[in-house]
Amino acid sequence: MSEALIKFDNITKRFSLRKGDIVAVKDFSLEIKKGEILTIVGASGCGKTTLLNMVAGFLTPSSGNILLDGQPITKVEPRCGMIFQNYALFPWLSVRKNVEFGPKINGVSKKVRREESAKYIEMVGLKGFEDAYPGELSGGMRQRTALCRVLANKPDILLCDEPFAALDAMTRQIMQQELLRIVNESGQTVLFITHSIDEALILSDKIVVMSVRPGTVKHIYDIELPHSGKVEVQLTDEYLKLKRQIWAMVEEEVKISMNIVSS
Amino acid sequence: MEGKELGLWRSSVIGAIGLLVFLSLWEVLVRTNVIDPFFLPAPTQVIDKAIQMTTAKDAVLLTDIKISATRVLTGFLLSVFVGVPAGLIMGMNPVIRAAINPIISIIRPLPALSWIPLSMLWLGIDEQQKYAIVFMGSFASILVYTTDATMRVDPILRRAAMNLGASPLQILRYVILPGALPDLLTGLKVVLAIAWTCVISAEMVGANSGLGFRIWTAKEWSDTGQVLVGMISISVTVLVLDILFRGLERVLLPYQRKTSGT
Repeated sequence: MSEALIKFDNITKRFSLRKGDIVAVKDFSLEIKKGEILTIVGASGCGKTTLLNMVAGFLTPSSGNILLDGQPITKVEPRCGMIFQNYALFPWLSVRKNVEFGPKINGVSKKVRREESAKYIEMVGLKGFEDAYPGELSGGMRQRTALCRVLANKPDILLCDEPFAALDAMTRQIMQQELLRIVNESGQTVLFITHSIDEALILSDKIVVMSVRPGTVKHIYDIELPHSGKVEVQLTDEYLKLKRQIWAMVEEEVKISMNIVSS
Repeated sequence: MEGKELGLWRSSVIGAIGLLVFLSLWEVLVRTNVIDPFFLPAPTQVIDKAIQMTTAKDAVLLTDIKISATRVLTGFLLSVFVGVPAGLIMGMNPVIRAAINPIISIIRPLPALSWIPLSMLWLGIDEQQKYAIVFMGSFASILVYTTDATMRVDPILRRAAMNLGASPLQILRYVILPGALPDLLTGLKVVLAIAWTCVISAEMVGANSGLGFRIWTAKEWSDTGQVLVGMISISVTVLVLDILFRGLERVLLPYQRKTSGT
């Protein structure tokens, strides 16, 4: 149980640009346990998305290894299911066909596929919209479809790249509650990236604050708040105290990144 | 008012009125001998001619349309079968794209007409020569349209498919092809009209059947009525093909009808 599902082992990622190298992430080490919801927060440009893309296998580290169940990730890894900010749904496929894409690719029989997609579609609350196309859905429903598509592929971990950033504040709050409910139901491990401290506090078991470029772990908070997803949590003293602490830390980094000298 | 779309019904009615006025004016100008019917026969005379050409026992007009259409479709489909797969590969692979692009840039600006001398030397004036002209006239355009359509598929969709476990071949089949299809069909529709101009040119220069041949021989006999019947037949056939193509789009792209605007 305490075994790490994902282990960042001293990761450094450099990008070669014409002007010279940029070190996006430096000496980054972190463990994510099975069943844990871990959120990385940090100023824009701190390398959060780079980290996520390395876990998914879209990018490879310049040095160090990312281990999934003890094995280094060397290629695009379907066991690390990605939820993209812009949904990345196939516009020519219905909700059901989008959800069944992964199982179909992986040779799951039509009958099993249909049963499973129905189960997951019901779980994310899209029952009745199976035959709709993504273009007919609202932003929140599109993101539910994207979540559903990844869940149907049965990944070991969900990678969420600011999945709710494009949604309006109210839809966003509801989607956060929904995600918590679904994750609690399925026991999924989640690596979540956001620049919203509230979002991080509502969702996470653990929050990692990153420093600005080169991105590295600045501080790790264990969050003991109740994960009901209820709005009231956000009014407790405990919540506000943590929010203040984390904001102070992030603010420092934002100022550094904007070249504002902190007093 | 300006720039605003009229409804389908109103624009059709106004269009029909416009056409009617144009034809009436033409008819009157010929019937009053302002225009010599030898140079330009009246619309009713053209219709008479068309009826004559379709009801005579050899029904020469219908045969010509069938022959020309067969040539166009054969050459066009050959182009599609070669050009679309090649375009997909070029769209996905930057190295192959860089290697092929200069060759295409040389071939593409050549009018189909300029291929007639070589094709006649190589193939005579058989059917193959007509197919070759249509092929050469449409191939480069199909290749370019397909390459562009492939490259316009959102790269995030490829990533999503990879993340769900798709192999490169599966990405091609389940992401690139359906993703490129709307732009591809638009391109093919344009090229199909180009293919028609190719076959008409080829038939005028060296053939003994087809619409182009019919128009050309009619000119030799100063039969302007027959020339006009031939020309109008081309317009009508292209229009009919265009409507069929639109039907094909509706069948292949059902999601576009439901989600127009996004």
